[in-house]
Amino acid sequence: MKTVACGLLLMLLAVSPSYALPVDTIGHIHSMKGTAFVHRGSVTLPATVGTALNRGDLIRTGKPGAVGIVLTDDTTISLGPNSELALSDYTFDPTVGKFSLVVRMVKGTFAYISGLIGKLAPDTVHLAIPDAVIALRGTKLLVDVQDPG
Amino acid sequence: MRYGSWVLTAMILSLLVPAGCASNNTVVLVPDPDGHVGKAEVATSGGKRLLERPNDMTRVSGPTAAPSPVTTADPAFITATFADALSIEPLPAEKFILYFHTGTTDMVQGSQDMVPKMIAAIQRRRPITIAISGHTDASGSTLLNDRLSSERARFVMDLLVKSGIDPKRMTVSSHGKGNPLVPTPDGVAEPRNRRVEVVIR
Repeated sequence: MKTVACGLLLMLLAVSPSYALPVDTIGHIHSMKGTAFVHRGSVTLPATVGTALNRGDLIRTGKPGAVGIVLTDDTTISLGPNSELALSDYTFDPTVGKFSLVVRMVKGTFAYISGLIGKLAPDTVHLAIPDAVIALRGTKLLVDVQDPG
Repeated sequence: MRYGSWVLTAMILSLLVPAGCASNNTVVLVPDPDGHVGKAEVATSGGKRLLERPNDMTRVSGPTAAPSPVTTADPAFITATFADALSIEPLPAEKFILYFHTGTTDMVQGSQDMVPKMIAAIQRRRPITIAISGHTDASGSTLLNDRLSSERARFVMDLLVKSGIDPKRMTVSSHGKGNPLVPTPDGVAEPRNRRVEVVIR
């Protein structure tokens, strides 16, 4: 019985981090043209102005298609047509001083403007593009990732 | 860049899926909306480049080659490549600050006069998010100020809801005396800190 209880406890411990991860909204789609989709796990949602975004979401624009997103720390990213962006990691918790922002620009064209995380904890901000990583000191960047496929 | 950041960078690089053929990626540093120019460092496993002047540009063409030497991007190239992404950029945030009489949720006259303008701006812009934050000055106890800042924020939220603005767009936070516009020693009454900020995006 003790072993079973212990095993259950271990199982609970093993799964508990997934409950601890905030699944809260980390930003929204603020503007768009043409078609775009948000891929969340195995679900694909058509993007509209006002669509809430979660950590881990993958945003894809069609051709024609373009979207502008704003994260809750005021980081602003816009995507041109035929583009793909993954919101890989995001933590914005000023009350306890926890920050991180990792986005992957998989393909397409992007305009990126730093938000509060870039101001408060610039070392935690990374933009990943194929073959390279970009570290930032509070600024605006334009990135073009040509589709190798 | 510090050693710790490099470890993190290396970890992130190791996560990248190796591309089947050489990539061809361009990174351009441009001024912020307020004109300030920051810095960006582009790193591959073969080396790194620092962008630090307006329109500084580098290209990445594979995992092992260093990014190309920094050049200045031609404005015609920027327009041709990024016109669609730049044309869809969301509008910058707009902020309204409403001030209150000490210890109350009564707005000062100037702020009462501003409310219709704020509501008109919200109705015109149809923002996706409306962030309402309540604040107090540093006179009085923490407990009292936490409650007062929350009441001020709620009061403004109710005003907006009564004007027909969708409460689903609103987030409300209260900061007590912890987030002053004008920092003061504890116990000091400062009218500019007795406020509610409304940021629309």
